[in-house]
This record gives sequence, C-alpha cells and structure tokens, in this order.
Amino acid sequence: MSATAPALEISGLTKSFGTMRALDDVRLVVEAGTVHCVLGENGAGKSTLCHVVGGSLVPDKGVLRLYGTPYAPRRPADALAAGIAMVHQHFSLVPTLTVGENLRLLRLRDLPRRVARVREEYGLEPDLDARVSDLPVGVRQRVEIVKALLREPRLLVLDEPTGVLGPAETDALLATCRRIAAAGHAVVLVTHKLGEAARAGDAATVLRAGRVAGGGPLAELPPERLVPLMIGRPAASLDAGLAGTIGLTEDRPSPGAGASAGPGTGASPETGTSGAERRRGPGALRLSDVGVRRADGSYALDRTSLDVGFGEIVGIAGVEGNGQSELMALLGGALAPDTGRVELAGRDITRAAPRERTRAGLGVVPEDRHREGCVPQLPVAENLFLGRLDRFRRYGVFLDRRAMNHAADAVLTGHGIRSGGPGALMSSLSGGNQQKVVLARELALDPLVCLAAAQPTRGLDIGAVGAVHSRIRQASAKGTAVLVVSSELSELLVLCDRIVVAYRGKLLGPVDPSQPDARERIGALMLGADHPAGSGTEGAGRAAATAPRPVPGDAPRH
Amino acid sequence: MSAVLDELAAGGVRLAIPLLLASSGELLSERAGVLNLSVEGMMLTGAFAGAAGALASGSAGVGVLTALAAGLLFAALQALLSVVLRADQIVTGITANALALGATTYGSRLVFGDASADSVPGFDPIPVPGLHRIPVLGPALFEQTALGYAAFAVAAALALGFSRRTGWGLAVDAIGEDATTADRCGLPVRAVRFAAVLLTGAVSGLAGAQLALSEVHAFSDNITGGIGHLAVVAVIAGRWLAWPTILACLFFGVAQSLQFAAPALGLHVSAPLLTTLPYVVALLAVSGLVGRSRAPSGLTVPFLRGS
Amino acid sequence: MPPPPLPPSAPAPSSAPRAALPRLAPLLGHPVSVGLLAVVLAGTAGLGLVLGAGTTPATAWNALAEGMFGSPYAIGSSLNSAAVLALIATGFTAAHRAGLVNVGGEGQLCAGGLAAAAVGLALPAGVPAVLGVPLVLVAGFAAGAAWAGIAARLRTRRGTSEVITTLLLNFIGVGLVSVAVHEEALLRQPVTSSETLPQSAPLPEGARLPLIGGIESPATAIVVIAALAAVITGVVLRRTAVGLRLRSVGHSPAASARLGLPVARLETGGLAFAGGAAGVAGAGLVAMAPSVLAEHFSSGYGFSGLVVGLLARGSLTAVAAVSLLFGFLTNGGINLQLAAGVPASSVQIVQSLLVLFVAAAMFATTRNRSTS
Repeated sequence: MSATAPALEISGLTKSFGTMRALDDVRLVVEAGTVHCVLGENGAGKSTLCHVVGGSLVPDKGVLRLYGTPYAPRRPADALAAGIAMVHQHFSLVPTLTVGENLRLLRLRDLPRRVARVREEYGLEPDLDARVSDLPVGVRQRVEIVKALLREPRLLVLDEPTGVLGPAETDALLATCRRIAAAGHAVVLVTHKLGEAARAGDAATVLRAGRVAGGGPLAELPPERLVPLMIGRPAASLDAGLAGTIGLTEDRPSPGAGASAGPGTGASPETGTSGAERRRGPGALRLSDVGVRRADGSYALDRTSLDVGFGEIVGIAGVEGNGQSELMALLGGALAPDTGRVELAGRDITRAAPRERTRAGLGVVPEDRHREGCVPQLPVAENLFLGRLDRFRRYGVFLDRRAMNHAADAVLTGHGIRSGGPGALMSSLSGGNQQKVVLARELALDPLVCLAAAQPTRGLDIGAVGAVHSRIRQASAKGTAVLVVSSELSELLVLCDRIVVAYRGKLLGPVDPSQPDARERIGALMLGADHPAGSGTEGAGRAAATAPRPVPGDAPRH
Repeated sequence: MSAVLDELAAGGVRLAIPLLLASSGELLSERAGVLNLSVEGMMLTGAFAGAAGALASGSAGVGVLTALAAGLLFAALQALLSVVLRADQIVTGITANALALGATTYGSRLVFGDASADSVPGFDPIPVPGLHRIPVLGPALFEQTALGYAAFAVAAALALGFSRRTGWGLAVDAIGEDATTADRCGLPVRAVRFAAVLLTGAVSGLAGAQLALSEVHAFSDNITGGIGHLAVVAVIAGRWLAWPTILACLFFGVAQSLQFAAPALGLHVSAPLLTTLPYVVALLAVSGLVGRSRAPSGLTVPFLRGS
Repeated sequence: MPPPPLPPSAPAPSSAPRAALPRLAPLLGHPVSVGLLAVVLAGTAGLGLVLGAGTTPATAWNALAEGMFGSPYAIGSSLNSAAVLALIATGFTAAHRAGLVNVGGEGQLCAGGLAAAAVGLALPAGVPAVLGVPLVLVAGFAAGAAWAGIAARLRTRRGTSEVITTLLLNFIGVGLVSVAVHEEALLRQPVTSSETLPQSAPLPEGARLPLIGGIESPATAIVVIAALAAVITGVVLRRTAVGLRLRSVGHSPAASARLGLPVARLETGGLAFAGGAAGVAGAGLVAMAPSVLAEHFSSGYGFSGLVVGLLARGSLTAVAAVSLLFGFLTNGGINLQLAAGVPASSVQIVQSLLVLFVAAAMFATTRNRSTS
C-alpha cells in the first residue's frame, strides 16, 4: 500500500440490466484526502456505481482497487470489512427498531465510545431511544450518516444525501465531508446538484447515460463546463427554473423569471397573458384550521390554513418531514384530519373518498410515483384510465381494450410521452415519461379545479423537468389552482406566485418570490424564524439545538 | 380433587413439551422471516427416525441422535428450497408435511413391519428428589424424562439467548423485518435464515423423539396428529414474542389435557371444542382485539440482493 | 454493552446458486422442461417405492391406470376430486389477483360443508332437486364466503395478514365440523348404539347433487360447476373492468386507492369469492355419496387446492390441468393399494416430490409481489 495509491480506483467498470447498459466502461480515480463528486442527471448510472462499490451489485466487468489493493466485493459485508461506509439514497434503517438498536446491528466494538466521538467531532447526536419509524426523514438521514461515521471508514460513499435536508443541514453535511477528507480519508459524494459539488468537492467525474462524460479537478471545471457534460447541451440553453433544479443557480433568479411572466420552455402562448375567460379569485382550494395528530400526540399539521386561488400557483417549501406528506395525504384522501375543513371551490371534501375528490376536480400528483402515482406492473393505457374504466365498455360487461388503447394513444401523442405504446408496461418507461403519464392523467380531469403536486420533478432529467413545468403553467393559465410541494427551492422560486414554508406542521409566510430577498427569507422560515409569537422562540431555539453544530475549519470553499 | 388438578397440570405440561421445543425453533425462524408450515412434518420425521434408531440400536439415546439428524436433514432440504431457491414457503411447507406423512407411513411398514412397535426402547421419568412432591407443580414439572428436562432447558435458552437485547436476537429481528437493510449492515441474511430453519428442524426432531420415546415408546402412523401445527399456532398466539409463546404452549397443553380431566372434574365439555380452542385463542391474539400485534414484515418474503 | 460477534457470513448457501443460475436458468426456466424434469424425477422415486413394496412396475402401473381411468367409476370419482380441487384453486387465483394469499381453503370448505349439511337436513324429505340442490350450494357459498370474510375484515380493518388468519381459520373450521358431528344437539345422526359414527344423517334425495355420467359413473354436477366457475372467473379476470381493478389492487393498493378504486371492497370481494368457491366445493362433498357430513370430510382438499392454485400461478388453464392431474393421481393411488398392494402413501410421496421439484424450479422466474 503505497502512500500515493488512490483511495479508490475503478477501471473498465461495466454493468448491464437485461439489454440496458447502466454502466459502460467507467473509469474513476478518487485520491485519498479528497472529496470526489460524481455528477450526472438521474438515470446516468450514479446509483448503480454506488451499489457496485458497496457490494450490493456485482459488476459484469471491471477492476476496482482500494488504496492500491484489489477490491472485488461480492456482498455488502465485504465492502464494510474493507472500510467502506455507504449512505444510501433510500434509507437502510430497520423502521421497527430504535435508533440505538439500529446502531447495534453494526456489531461494532466499543459502540458508546464511537458514538461519543461522532458527537464530539461532527456534532451529530442521535436520540438512541427513538423508534426509527417515528422520526421525520431529515432526522433519519442524520442517523444514517452517524451510522456510516461510526465505522470510521476510510472511504465514505454518499448517494444523493441532501435531498431531504434543509440548507443549514446541508451545509453541516458538506462540512462533515470536508473534515473526513482532511483526516486523510476519501469521500465520494454523488449528487445532481452542481452547487454542492462546487462547495465541497475537490474533483468531479461526470456520468451521462452510463459513460464517463468528463471530469477533473473542480477548480478547472466551472459550472459552464460541467453542465454540457451532464446534459449534453450548453448551460445557456437552460431557463432559470431548469438551472435551479441542478443547483446551478444558487442565487435568486432574475426578477421576471417568475411564473406569471416566465415563458417556460414549450409553454403555450396563453401563458402570461391575462385571458379574459379564465377564472380568478380565491377559494379554489381552501384548508381551514386543519390539524393532524401523529401517534405520539404531536401535530403533523398544526391547525393550518391555506387558500389557493383560481389560476394561482402556490408553492410549499420546507425541509421534508414538516407536515408536507400529511398535507398531500390529506388532499389525496388517504388521511382524514382531526380538526378543520378542506374545501374545493366551496364544496366540503374533508372526508370525501378519493373517487369523489377526483370527480369534484382535484388532481393529485403524489410524491412517491412508484408506490402511489401509478401501478408500474400495468400497461400505460390502464394506468391512464383505471379510474374511468366505465367509459370503455363493450356489451355492457367486457372491457373495450381497443377503445382504451386508442384513447391512450391520443394522450401519449398530445403530451409527447415516449413509450412502447399504450400496451407497454409503466415500469418500462423512464422516470420522466412515467411522471408525464401521471400528470396527463390528473390534468385530464374535467372539471379540473385544483392540481396538487408533490415533488413533481424529483428524479427527472432536465428535458422532462421543462415539460412538467410548462404543463403546470398551462393548467394555471387556464384558471386551475396549483399547489406544488417541493424541496427544490429554486424550482418553487421560478414556478410559483406565492410560497409558504412548512415548519413543524405550520405554514409560515407567505413569501413573494419576486422580492429580491425571497430566498433568504424562505431559508430563515425553514428554520422557524418569524414563527408566530409564543412558540416562536421555543421553535427557533429547538431548531438550533437539533441542527448540527458548526465545526471549526469548515468554511465553504470557493 | 387435588389428584385431578395434579393430573391436569401434569398432563398439560407433558403435552406442552413437544410444543415448547418446536415452537421455540419456529419462533426464531419466523422472526428471521421464514414461515415453516412444515413443523408437523419435521416432528413426524423426528419421531419416526427416533423410534427407528432406538429400535435398531436398542438405545433411546441413539434414538434421540437419529431424530436430531433426521430433523436437520429435513430442514436442510427445506431451507434449500425456501431460502436458497426462494420457492414459495407456503407451498414447500404444506407439501413437505405431505411428503413426511407419506414417507413415514411407507417407511414404518418397512422398518417396523407388522410387529408391534411398542418394543422400542424409551425414556423413563426421573423425579427430582423433593421437588416432585410439591402439590400440582411437582408432578407437572419435576417428573419428566431426561428429554423433557432438556426441552425446558432448550426453550429457556433460546428465549434468553435470542431476546432483542442480545446481538443475536437483534440481528434475527432485523433480518426478518427488513432483509435488505440487514444485508447492507453486513449481516449474513441467508445464512441466518438457513440456520434458523435448521434449528427449527433440530428442535422439531427432538420434539418428535419426545413423542415417540418419552411418551409412548412406539411409532404409529401420523403420531404427531397436528401437534406440529399447534406449535406454529403457538408462535402466532404468542405474537412473535418468546415468553408469550411459551405461555401459549403451556396453555395449549392444559387445554388439551382438560379433555381427559374434564369428566373427573364433572365438566361436560365437547372434546373437539377443546381441541379447537387454541386456534380461537390465536385468532383473537392476532386480530388486534387485545393489544397490538404484528408479524415480522419480511415473513414469507424471500431475500434477493439488488432487488 | 457490545453485542457478541455473529459468525462470519457463510458463503455456502448464498454463493452456490449464484454461480449455477446463469447456466441453468434458461434450461430450467422453460415450463415444458420444468414439468418434464419434475415428472421424470418424481416418477423415478415412485418406481423405487413400488419396487420397495415388492411389486413389479407393470403390476403397479396397471393398478394405477385402472384406478385413474380404467372404468367409468374410476373416471367419475377422479373427476369429482379434480372438480373440488379446481374450485378451491379458482377461488385462490381470484383472490391472489387482488394480492391476497388465501391459505384458508380447508376451513372455508368445512364452513361450506357445514352450512350445506345444516340446510340440507332442514329441508323436508320430499324436496324437489331443482329447489334443494341450489339451496345447498348457495348455503355452501355463503358460509365459505362469510368464513373468508372474517379474514378479509381483519385485514382491511386491522391490517392482520390474511396468510395468518386464514391459516388459523382452517383449524377452527375443521374443529367446528367435529363439534357439529359429535353433538346430537347439532348435526349428529341419532345415536342408537355405541357403533353410531360421529357423522350427520344422510341428506334428503332432493338435496343431493345430480349425477352427470350415467348410472355407472359417480361424476356429479360439481364437475360442471367447477368447469363453469373456472371459465367465468377466467373471463372476468381477463376481460372485464373488475378483473383489471383486482389486478391493480394486487399490484399496488396505495396507487389504486389514489386512483379512486374501492380497495377494501375489492380485497374483501376477492377473498370472499375464494371462500365462496371453497364453500361450494365443501357443499359438493357433502351433497355427493355418501351424502353425509363426517368428521375429516375435507381430508386435506383445501390444502391440496391451495397448492394447485399456487402452482398454476394465475392461469386458469393451468388450474384445470393441475387439478385433473392431482384428482386422477389420488384416485389411482387408492387403487394402487387395493389392487397392487403398494401403500397409497407412495402416491402421496410422488405427488409431494412432484410439487417440490416444480416449486424448486420456479426460482428463476419473477414474482408478482416484489419489493422495489
């Protein structure tokens, strides 16, 4: 093991799933003492690469070397034994166990000492007695990171770790990465956000469609050069909203890029015009005094009110786990509130079944596309029309598949959805096209009073993000009220007329995205600033207490 | 009256011993995510092999060893199917029971022939001096055969050794709850599941030996008569927790024993009704009418890495 | 308090199949080679068992064939057995489409038989068959559906796994039949001597299933009912909106709920139909010779039917084929013992091996309830 050997050296790595080549002749060198970013759009092969390094997937071809010695993991245990710790995109904590029990599963000696060390060095202190299933996602992510750090790894691999974190938590995590590198170990940070790479990374490798598109020291790779590597076209071709989704523009978008004025890519001509026929005014969707209690008695939604007007796009920002999921479940009809009312165009739908909501004109694009948004094992046509099968009857009893496929064809063409036809299984579509199918289905409601979409562009490539945004703007232009829940602040800033911030079950704000200090104000609200009097100070105090302590020597680079 | 109570308690514990053995293995297996519906078959195989071994060697001790070996072999084949080849656990369980019933019935013609099989050497009760004179508890607990005492020890050891507080118990629970996460923590998922099925086979084999060598000193076709199923049900009634499962076994034993003691107590209870009682209790236990109960999330779901 | 170290991961069970999989999968994966291989292996074992019993293969084969289709009687009783299995497996398939595993065929069959006997015995002696038979069958369906409905309700209301509850309800169903035929106050025939069997009195003539194969064949209307049930279920599952909705619920209850499908109602309906079909099978068993409800009349049909359903993997054509195979084999096995002196248990062994071989060979194919 020579001093100059890289921490991780990968060459000729190839992995196929069926006919799809997820990784194709990938080469990657991670020097010890550095943070190496792996960049790329969704579907570029980043997660597959992580799984290979972590031993969850065995590659078809390729050689891996760890600190100079050959490394060929057959199972995750091999990776752990070699001193590699992973933080997966999907949590790997057993939900029915407590945090402490999950940590004990690692079977590490002198666990208390290690826990103490992680607390001292990184300021991370998990509540060992809390049951994982009771914790919000952001906290789970921190436990996940603690779990990785307890192993004192010589290589830490983080797969999209910041998706569920707020700005302060993200800063702390990136600082943690720097500290690990400073201690002489190596970090692989997988992300699709260029801003994070710029702040924490030393070098980067860009993947596109399973191949290495380029890379090198980040000092020599400004965003203008990284973007074309990632998406295959120049950065200038992106509008502000799209640039925001890859973290290209950390600063506020230029005034006028807001929803009402911004000509989104491919948006219909009516966008931005004040069509005389479209309905305006408040009351399309009205939540009044809505409260949802969790099992432990705390409030997931704490007597919250919100009014979304016709033709208005309202965004909900905030760190995940502050009541957004409950709000969406409430709108979708999966959850009934303990207090308060939900009204759609004046009609009480608080306890209406999902079917009645759909009839009344409430479209919902759920956050978890695979679990709730669609049925991946069924064909596209079925996914489009499952709720309206009565329209496709033959002889009164049989299902008229031909008519259904015909209707589906029209939708696929109209929305520019690329698939193997109406009979193709939903699971065979790319994430972007799946989301377009879900959106097409919800937008086809007649009447469509309100569309509620959670994380509508998560996991989509740039082109699909543009299409989804323009569909949402079109719907709004026709008078539909739109509620967008997103953890991508940049997305909300360009898309919305008004942004509220979810914080501990309350909706704080609103913030006008066209104001110059919108981003800063939202950031402050996400930490509970200007929380209504009374609980405000307590809230802010606790927020500070739970956020990781800043660590000396971690000033953001660049 | 007290003689009747003695009888009831002693009979209850005697009937509970094979249950205790088998269900303490089955509990671990289910906590690790494998539903062995074939405990009945494992037990029957153990009883057959135990009786055959004892007959051939003239020693009950050798019979215990052959029963153990047969249980392990049976379990290894089943684990190969359900853990390694990921065959459906319900199909393999039910079919393995049928196979065991067929094979032991066929085999007993060959091994025991028409000769009366009650010449098999067996175990005799060993009263613990002093303790066995305690009213009710004495005859119930302290007049067992060596195999019976061993059964108590095995059940207690497994309950303590694999409690959630121990690293082993925690690992088993994690594997049954979320195999992918356990795998990522470096736990050997399939090896643990394989071992849990083997353990179930071993203890069920012993339970079979207890039936054939401690109780009747003979093998007869379908000698288990559903006791193996009852062991699976005890785990359900105990809501996948060790001590409640042990209690359920004892309760089931006493309920069965009541059939014989009822007339002496002057009770008219339908015998089939008593036989059915344990299943009703188990149904009530899992139906959530009394507290919460949850089966391990990964129960019957085979593990495949990278899915 | 550090936990004790676990043994290092044993490589044997996990690495062996990985190496074998790519080479064997295409070969073993093909249904025809799977079936053929399983039959050959199980047949070889059967041959050994026949020889072990001191019989020549020719004698054994003749006895087996004779018992399967050597006479109208053999064919008729084989068909009756196959029909009972097919009904249970058909119901299983419908529930499985909705994502539910109905392990409770045996108990539902008992509930159906119990209700059929109760209704049948309550009918006047001279009841006409056009009235009596439908009443008995409807009673069986309703009781089976209600029995499965307990499990469905516990699942939709309390989230209790239907695998566990239907399993338990089997034993309770079998127990209830025992109770009923042991108590004169319930369904036991009048006890006249110590020889009186614990079973019900025979059903009146008008409540018994009509024969369909002439005077020599015991084949009853249950065969027609099972065939109709399989065909109609197949059409409903494949060609109607209900079938599609069940499939959607089976794949993703959450997405189905979001799309406005009545998930709980579909799940309950699927499981209740499975129970009803098994209940009809139970009613059929009671309403054919000897037309009594006896202890253990279900004799494992429920479990065999479940195995048929699982092996058929959603195809109703396969349900019919496997049911016929099992029905004929079972009856052939009985004759094997009567005519050739080979223990009937050897057929049980061969049949189990056949199932285990097929189950083992299915491993390469995908499952419908995968977790992503």
